[in-house]
Amino acid sequence: MKDTPRQITLDEWDARYEVLRAAGMSEAAYGGPLRRHVKDGDLRLLKLRCDNSAASLRLWNFLLTEEDRLHEARAAGKKIVGAMKDLGTVPVIAYSSPNLVAFYPDGAWWIPCVEELNAGLLRIADSLGVDESFCPVRAMLGAFLTQEHFPIPDLLTCSVGATCDDFSTIAQRLNGLGYPILWWEIPNRRWPDPDELAVSLPGGFCAPRPQVDFVKSELERVREGLETLAGEPFDAAALSAGIKKANQVRRLLAELRRLVFTAEICPLPALEMLIAEMFAIHFCSDQNETIAVLQDLLDEVKNRIQANQGFFSGETVRVFWVNPVADLRAMNLLEECGGRICGTDYLFSHALDEIPEDLPPVEALARMALSDPMVGPAADRAERICKDIRSFGAEALVFSRVPGASHCATEGKVICDVVQSKLGIPTAEIEVPPISDSLRPTLRSRLEALIETTKDQRK
Amino acid sequence: MLPLAAETGGHIGGAAIGVCPYARACVHEVASQKDADAVVFTTTCDQMRRSAELIARSCNVSVFLFHVPATWQTNAAHGLYADELRRLGRFLVRLGGSAPSRDELARVMREFETARSAVCEARGRLSARQFSQAIADFQRDGKVNLESLESAPVPRGVPVALVGSPLLRGHFDVFDVVEKAGGHIALDATTSGERPLPAPFDRREIGDDPFTVLVSGYFGNIPDAFRRPNSELYVWLKHKIAERDIRGIIFRHYTWCDLWHAEAQRMKESSDLPLFVMAIGDEEGLDGHTVSRIQSFVEILR
Repeated sequence: MKDTPRQITLDEWDARYEVLRAAGMSEAAYGGPLRRHVKDGDLRLLKLRCDNSAASLRLWNFLLTEEDRLHEARAAGKKIVGAMKDLGTVPVIAYSSPNLVAFYPDGAWWIPCVEELNAGLLRIADSLGVDESFCPVRAMLGAFLTQEHFPIPDLLTCSVGATCDDFSTIAQRLNGLGYPILWWEIPNRRWPDPDELAVSLPGGFCAPRPQVDFVKSELERVREGLETLAGEPFDAAALSAGIKKANQVRRLLAELRRLVFTAEICPLPALEMLIAEMFAIHFCSDQNETIAVLQDLLDEVKNRIQANQGFFSGETVRVFWVNPVADLRAMNLLEECGGRICGTDYLFSHALDEIPEDLPPVEALARMALSDPMVGPAADRAERICKDIRSFGAEALVFSRVPGASHCATEGKVICDVVQSKLGIPTAEIEVPPISDSLRPTLRSRLEALIETTKDQRK
Repeated sequence: MLPLAAETGGHIGGAAIGVCPYARACVHEVASQKDADAVVFTTTCDQMRRSAELIARSCNVSVFLFHVPATWQTNAAHGLYADELRRLGRFLVRLGGSAPSRDELARVMREFETARSAVCEARGRLSARQFSQAIADFQRDGKVNLESLESAPVPRGVPVALVGSPLLRGHFDVFDVVEKAGGHIALDATTSGERPLPAPFDRREIGDDPFTVLVSGYFGNIPDAFRRPNSELYVWLKHKIAERDIRGIIFRHYTWCDLWHAEAQRMKESSDLPLFVMAIGDEEGLDGHTVSRIQSFVEILR
């Protein structure tokens, strides 16, 4: 059996699956051929090209079976927490209790893509007055109302304050429809005034001590809510253990990102890397399995690097990508245009940084929450992006606007300006809707122009 | 701030796709000020929060970004607001101001309270347009100049409420349009109108602890769309609608203003009153189509 890395279609995956099985591939309980997800409505798989490794098969199967896991958790007596907007903070607390499972309802924003708009979630959002001028995360409203994509959580938390208006208003709409929400505040991160004590944050940012103390008090309130739900208190030891476990995931991702983004030959395509990174936010509803899935991927990547195997030619342009795409197919498109991902900021860099383990746990979590790139100035985010571009050796930047998102109206210009002035590399702004097929020629032209310009700069 | 609409393309942030016209107008207004040393923005919406950064990067003016907590049901949120107010004070001192004594602060607050009462009491003596403009001016500089305004006859048209995003300087024609159609705006519940006025200060308590009274007066009374939860907005509106016998609602939001846009449908569902939604773009005034729709709406109410 040849195990050359390839990106293959779903049809090819059918045959590949049989080959892997015949070769003795062992699978987790949620394993199986990818084709079955199409029968469940995940039609976008038919248009994607996925990595052909057993590790990637496991990754996809893990991603696409999250709903089943949540139902199983509830059946097993666990309570379900819907952690909205904070992108990685509340789940760390929730998973400190064996009685809780946290997931990320905002993740519903990919349902219109994965099901190619057939779920009707955006139509439901329209009917609630949340139309296409809002970010595609409005699909979450439809997912709650249809109750067909995840079980309704026993507790909903939502971070507000220095967040995007799209999500804040959509969560408020949900609340207005009768879903109780535990709101917690994250203030706009700012640099300390001359008379304030400065606190270092993960990721290289800094915040004044009063802001950290405020977020600590908010997280204590969240913890109390979760303790009530869990029916037991979380002591500092439990929270510290939860942080250590979350850091296991973050360390695996850090290693994966370092190896993939800096390897001479790309060992894992953009699509699989995007999905792997998303696991940092909420562990896809199973923290232990997330660790196993990522370990598998890391082993595969190491093997490929050792064997000098991978994707794309040496001419391929190394691209840093900003913001997640609503249509997963866009990641394939970049690679078709001659680019490869060498660095990302998918809005949750703070969920990739290790949480300090030498601090009291709530203090550590507060510092992590405040290092969210979205709660501070876009220029701060741009500085971090520059640092990552240098460290991963990216040669160009794509700023992918999220359609309708309040933050994207102005931050792209700020980020591109800072990156151009500091690093002198080409940048491009594009916008990717949930199904981008009709825009594909335009997107292709924009990306190809960026790739060509970058290659010209090499000369 | 009561800015003029900004010219399309004149935005400091460059490409204006997705930028709320009000946020853009504010940035434009600040950028065109020649004599301002500082500008204060608040975080009550994401676009204004980010506008502060655009100004700081592009203009030679000190920028203070005031974090107004979205949450309001906890002591911590109340405390954060008070801390931000103190921080604003320190910022102003650094610019050359001086910290007021307790008595000085109390005196200024009493003067503000007198002015506030004067402008509120003018409702009924002034036309709806004059009243709203007086409030908008008062919110801008804390001054009341009613002497120059002539008393207007009490309107007899059908009472409607104007709810939603703040008006720009060229948007007050809506009052005249409604009156010509046989109605009158008896409640200006936009962000430039009555709704965000602070609660009356307790004059007896001002002398003892003016700062606490100041914080409570403002933070304790923000019935706005950005709050989480924003249930107090609906409580406030229900009370005012009953008080003023409102028969219909004209709801206005700017294109790309998520905070108010998302409330339109909810308000329609939660209110028994007819509701007309106006989406405002970059234009300075009302276009003919909108005027005719407002007229039709008011005629239906009569």
